[in-house]
Amino acid sequence: MAITIYLSGHLKTFTGGDTEVALDSSFSSVGAVLNSLWKLHPALRDRILNDQGEIRQHVNIFLGSDDVRRLDGLRTAVDANEIHIFNAVSGG
Amino acid sequence: MAKDNELLLMVGTAKGLFILRGNKGKWSIDGPHFAGRAVYSAFLDQRKRRNEMWAGPVSWHFGAELSKSTDMGKTWDEPENRRIKMPKTTKKSLENIWQIAPGGNDDSLYVGVAPAAVFESHDRGETWSLNKGLWNHPHRKKWTPGFGGLAVHTIVTDKKNPNDIKIALSTGGVYQTSDGGENWRVTNTGVKAYFLPNQFPEFGQCVHKIARHPRKKNTYFLQNHHGVYRSRDGAVTWQEIEHGLPSNFGFGLTVSDSGSVFIVPLDSDGKRYTVDGKLRVYRSRDDGTSWQAMTKGLPQKNAYEVVLRDAVDSAGNNIFFGTKNGKLFASGDDGDSWKLIEGSLPEICAVKAYTFS
Repeated sequence: MAITIYLSGHLKTFTGGDTEVALDSSFSSVGAVLNSLWKLHPALRDRILNDQGEIRQHVNIFLGSDDVRRLDGLRTAVDANEIHIFNAVSGG
Repeated sequence: MAKDNELLLMVGTAKGLFILRGNKGKWSIDGPHFAGRAVYSAFLDQRKRRNEMWAGPVSWHFGAELSKSTDMGKTWDEPENRRIKMPKTTKKSLENIWQIAPGGNDDSLYVGVAPAAVFESHDRGETWSLNKGLWNHPHRKKWTPGFGGLAVHTIVTDKKNPNDIKIALSTGGVYQTSDGGENWRVTNTGVKAYFLPNQFPEFGQCVHKIARHPRKKNTYFLQNHHGVYRSRDGAVTWQEIEHGLPSNFGFGLTVSDSGSVFIVPLDSDGKRYTVDGKLRVYRSRDDGTSWQAMTKGLPQKNAYEVVLRDAVDSAGNNIFFGTKNGKLFASGDDGDSWKLIEGSLPEICAVKAYTFS
């Protein structure tokens, strides 16, 4: 199933301006989708994941409309055709 | 003494980095670079005339990174693969970059970070590695974080003895190595930790800043979490030098080329603003034996300011400091008088001053 990743505008510095990335392939997990995303835009990895390869505390990743933290994190099985990556509303 | 037209400031704020150039008392300002990101660390590497700028912006969303500029701050790189990352084996992630310091050797750089660690490069920043001697220090499991996290925020190196490195971390205190970082020993003797049952522990102090005298190689100064100290033996043992100060609490500390020591006392860790609402810089010209309040040009009424640990610096006998309220002050006469350079910057986290031509 093809999947489209929608990125926060704050990240377009690292994608050459793109905020939408379409991947025409099948993926077993959200982590697998992201691994393909890093191949296209390598700089995104260090910004979205921390040094231990976990989703940064103030980054939210949604599969469809579900926050993957409330599912199985990066291991969440892909059953939707959209992933959204946002910065959280935290800040000061 | 440096002239105004030879001054360059790197001012890290909660919302980006500003670069100011002084020219005969007039200042130009450029920025913010890394707009929206906090910058607690910056450094201009002038060794071997390379004029490379370094900064440690942190996005609270997307993390911290070490960035470099080779065109005096016009553009900054952000490598795809960040220069500094905590190794997998540490099970930690980089939280913030607190200090970027030149090594004793001209091609060496050291970076102090949260979680309390030092990274080092010996090829002018091309490659970096975690200092394992400090990371594996047996005290680590007993260090505890302060409000800013558990961080190595101060690194003092020695051009004449490149293997001698002194650091300060909160909370842990002063540690130093004489073998280039293989082994680190704790040197907090005499420094108080009023917030612990044992008020003079071997380690666990919340040392806010240390700095070395420009000519007396074994004389160091220390601003503690309540306490101002001097060492005459290379930052090993410390003696109180608080007589004449309105408070012994504060963060930043610098020593000018003349040997004058500058601090900005704050009214206790409970209040953390300038004593009596007066913005006073305290200067000592006798290594802390006595202190004088410097007030000329500084607001003395309703001035509730905070000066953070890296927001005081000097270049020659020019002294600079910035406040959490975004005011940036300069003195060109070793602290006798002060002028406001900028009044509405974001919260100032770091001020780094250089003579530049």
